[in-house]
Amino acid sequence: MISQIAKKEMLEMRRDGRFQVASAIVLGLLLVSLGIGWQQYVSVNRQHEMARAETREQWLSQGKKNPHSAAHYGVYAFKPKSPLSLVDRGADQYTGVAVWLEAHKQNEFKYKPARDANTLARFGDLTASSVLQLLVPLLIILMSFSSFAGERESGTLRLLLSMGIAREKLALGKALGVAGGLGMLLVPAALIGSAALVLASDSGSFVANLPRLGWMTASYLLYFAAFVGISLTVSALAKSARLALVCLLGFWIFNGLAAPRLFSDVSRTVHRTPSSFAFSQRMDGELKKGFDGEALKKKVMAQYGVTSMEALPVNFLGISLKAGEDHGNEVYDKLYSELWDTFEAQNRLQQQGGVVAPLMAMRSVSMGLSGTDFAQFRDFSVAAEKYRRVLNDAMNDDLKNSPKTEGPYMADEKLWSKVPEFAYVMPEVNVVLGQQAWSLGLLVLWALGATGMAGWAATRRLRAE
Amino acid sequence: MLQAIGLSKSYGAQTALDGLNLEVKPGEIFCLLGANGAGKTTTINLFLNFIEPTSGLAKINGLDVASDALETKKYIAYIPEQVSLYKNLTGLENLDYFATLASGAAVEKSRLVGYLREVDLPSGAEDRKVSTYSKGMRQKIVIAIAMAKQAKALLLDEPTSGLDPKASNEFSQLIRKLAGNGTAILMATHDLFRAKEDGSRVGIMRQGRLRQVLNTDEFGHADLERIYLEHMHD
Amino acid sequence: MIGTVAKQEWRLLKADRTLAAVVVLMAAMVGYSLYNGSSWVAFQRQTLGAAETEQAERKGKLLKTLKGIEEGRIEVKGTQDPRSAASIGGNSSAPYLAMPPAPLATLAVGQSDLYPYYFKLNLRSKQAILANDEIENPTNLLAGRFDLAFVLVYLFPLVALALGYNLISSEREQGTLALAMSQPLTMREMVTGKIVLRGGLLLGLVVLFTFAGALLTGVDLGSSTVWLRLGLWVSLMALYTGFWFGLAVLVNSYQTSSATNALTLAGAWLGLVLVLPSVANLVATSMYPVPSRVEMVQAMRVAGKEAQSKGSMLLAKYMEDHPELMPAGEKPAADFTTLSYAVQMEVDKKVEPVLKRFDEQVEKQQAFVEGFKYLSPAILAQTAINDLAGTSLGRYQHFSRQVDGFFDAWKGYFLPKVFAKTKLGSGEVAGLPVYQFREETDGDILGRVGVVLAGMLVLSGAVLWVGYIRLRRVSIS
Repeated sequence: MISQIAKKEMLEMRRDGRFQVASAIVLGLLLVSLGIGWQQYVSVNRQHEMARAETREQWLSQGKKNPHSAAHYGVYAFKPKSPLSLVDRGADQYTGVAVWLEAHKQNEFKYKPARDANTLARFGDLTASSVLQLLVPLLIILMSFSSFAGERESGTLRLLLSMGIAREKLALGKALGVAGGLGMLLVPAALIGSAALVLASDSGSFVANLPRLGWMTASYLLYFAAFVGISLTVSALAKSARLALVCLLGFWIFNGLAAPRLFSDVSRTVHRTPSSFAFSQRMDGELKKGFDGEALKKKVMAQYGVTSMEALPVNFLGISLKAGEDHGNEVYDKLYSELWDTFEAQNRLQQQGGVVAPLMAMRSVSMGLSGTDFAQFRDFSVAAEKYRRVLNDAMNDDLKNSPKTEGPYMADEKLWSKVPEFAYVMPEVNVVLGQQAWSLGLLVLWALGATGMAGWAATRRLRAE
Repeated sequence: MLQAIGLSKSYGAQTALDGLNLEVKPGEIFCLLGANGAGKTTTINLFLNFIEPTSGLAKINGLDVASDALETKKYIAYIPEQVSLYKNLTGLENLDYFATLASGAAVEKSRLVGYLREVDLPSGAEDRKVSTYSKGMRQKIVIAIAMAKQAKALLLDEPTSGLDPKASNEFSQLIRKLAGNGTAILMATHDLFRAKEDGSRVGIMRQGRLRQVLNTDEFGHADLERIYLEHMHD
Repeated sequence: MIGTVAKQEWRLLKADRTLAAVVVLMAAMVGYSLYNGSSWVAFQRQTLGAAETEQAERKGKLLKTLKGIEEGRIEVKGTQDPRSAASIGGNSSAPYLAMPPAPLATLAVGQSDLYPYYFKLNLRSKQAILANDEIENPTNLLAGRFDLAFVLVYLFPLVALALGYNLISSEREQGTLALAMSQPLTMREMVTGKIVLRGGLLLGLVVLFTFAGALLTGVDLGSSTVWLRLGLWVSLMALYTGFWFGLAVLVNSYQTSSATNALTLAGAWLGLVLVLPSVANLVATSMYPVPSRVEMVQAMRVAGKEAQSKGSMLLAKYMEDHPELMPAGEKPAADFTTLSYAVQMEVDKKVEPVLKRFDEQVEKQQAFVEGFKYLSPAILAQTAINDLAGTSLGRYQHFSRQVDGFFDAWKGYFLPKVFAKTKLGSGEVAGLPVYQFREETDGDILGRVGVVLAGMLVLSGAVLWVGYIRLRRVSIS
């Protein structure tokens, strides 16, 4: 019975020219965006791999130098692109790609790709995620707005109900019909997407990304289920198919267009971002406070049990530089954590916007699992900064223990190669799931709530006339 | 007043109206009878210039409707089968709109109310929304539009279908009154009884052709039904 | 006749509360977006104000120190001489080069959240200056802002389509079409009456609310350039309204049901406003890919390393070329400061072709995109609104050129003094050039927006024209 209804729904969809054209367009856009995403991932990743090797080579081959001078020369860290970014570019275009790790200073990430983009970029990226998050729900609405309302208008609903079909079976059949129609579209796309992922990543990273891909698929299915539920509910309750369509389009616009902007405005108002000017003024102020050089001298002399600086068995410059680094690090840690906590508070509030607009939750989950959200950008920034400190400490330690000879002290490749190469590993999927708990919970609620509502509306509120 | 000269309309191979010759004089009520698809509505649509004739002429007040569409519409009023008005507006507001469109200038409210009294709309109903009206009441508004327009010819498309006998009777009286004032009336109908009662002449159509024209004072009700059925059978 | 139809439309809209809904919706959207825009402008002004204060304080302190030294009250000690050209030009008197928000900046955030609106000058490389920008949560940048431009470009067409999707189909569906067309009234007159009222109403509301909002948020209506921009903005919105109503007429002329019209128009909106721009962007980025910044970083690093290794040689060479800069009676001094500037200059020279290639490619892509904008009225509208609000790429480039010019002049003044180890006095510091942002002229704006308006006129005209031609064939029966 149920399968009969679902079959008839799918048959109707196949016969409907509008649905065919719309599906073809959505599928086409999905495939194109996956293809472009794959190509971008491959080319950016290659560049970053090359640059990473080059920056290491430059570090090793910098020749004879004073260690502090080497620390000033520093290295660059390039944010690696995650393989799943071919599905969702997330905030990647708006975070810098490279950071210079040098002495004394925690630098900002520079070169946001968006700044080099053309003016159309602000209309939105065409990525697989934007197709999945915006266009597929629209297709669901198109497929199901007239499910009940249309049958009522054409009078076939009377006929169906007069034949004694249980309403819950009718509703389930309709829902399965929509799901089947959607499946015809998404299953090939998902297969092609996975193939692109296999091509994009070496075997190891593909396996590593499998859990992320699995969770991502599951969360998109929840999102689609929510839309099927909402559409069927509205179609069962609305007086006419036209009214159902208008209501659903209204919700779609709110969900897809207005909500992201509204919640980003609200989050910015609730958790204020300082201006770059105020931030750097504060940073300069805190850094200038510095540390007490005389006190440090006394402390070091006491530590080594000597009474004059000349008698110190170690090079004081190394100690003083290290103390300077430590003071700076304290300031950086404090100010950047504050700033980044503000961003994360803003993002959390936007996730919670998922209560009224499921897109907010979906977007957050999708970016998170793709490894392109702010949290994982922060994770990389912190790792890069940690590496900077390892590098600086190594240089200052060497300087401290350098022989006190006339003329400047020079270190060579032996020292440079002591500093390990910077290697970054993306956080485990569990970490991401923890960050996205709110969003995932909301998606589950939406899916259950909306399908439940649809069942209720179809069994209790469906009128034949 | 209304004149069809060899008026034909075909859609591809299918002929909807075939060489119609007809004249309706001022004060005359001409009833077109015939099954669905006989060409009655096509005739009316041709007089309204809603469709263009394949050949022949439709004339109103001596003017060809195809070449003088706007001018001829000043002389006619049309009552469609499904009388629909703007349901969120009151009867008076509806009348005001169409009367203004018809005459090209605003019409005083008192005159409009006068027309509504003349068509016997229950007093007070003019300020209610049309969505609360019966079909008979909506029809009265449309007749009031015709009056406000001082139409010289009236085109009616199955006006009495769906009316209860009392409303149907009231409607007859109204159009007879209009005919008495010199309006030429062309009415497509299925209602043989009304055709005999109200019409000056009846014409029986089949498959786009006008088969026979009869003067209503020359036969009785039973005769009309017999003649009509004869035409339908052969 | 058209007036009668328009009056009737007014009655109809009032009767079914559409009018009230449209007024409330537009007031809420325009009001909220202008509030958003004005708080962003206030934020920028506040930041620029703080920067200006800091700059004045810094310079005041420097002048006081210099006077003190000149009058012998203050003694110079340590390695850092406050009178040195490197210290004065690179830090203590280095100005902020700011681009204040344009008079109508509240209309559109545009690209202003992405590109910096002020730079702190130094004597180092331009890249170091340009790469700075405002702090912002990347997630927020991704979402964009709920500014007036968003309301006008994205949401306004939807309201227009909601008012226009059933222009003819509703009359047909409720059965009043035949009655109306049996009057001496043409289909074109009826449609004109309807779109004049509905479109005019919508346009009027937007203009009214925006003017009110502009006044409330403190836009100075006294200047002629503001009126010119507002005039252009009203013309743009009139044409944009015309386009969407024209589309509604065109779709209605196919005599499909209201529900089908709604779907078709929603599809057209989706295509023109969302899909087309992103597809165009995709095509542009694929045809003219911008070289990766990573490559550029590497090129700069290689150049830097090379220059570093022959730093003293570079300095010596520079001094050979400019013997007049040789400090009297000294050998070319290879101290840290002069050396680093010599290296810097070499790096700049080396990196220049890389940067140029980079900029050229960005420009090529942008030029390619320029052609695309005529495909979609939404892109046209967004471009023009950004231009009028002074948040367009064009104004940033205008600013960037001024920064370039000033930076070159600044370096041209200071660098020779750095190499010659000249010390500056308070008189020279007080007489240093002051940066003043030159606003784009009305002619610049008119030129850019005029082209867009012409494009919009063609698009709207074409849609309306085809729609009106098709109206003749609409059957009534």
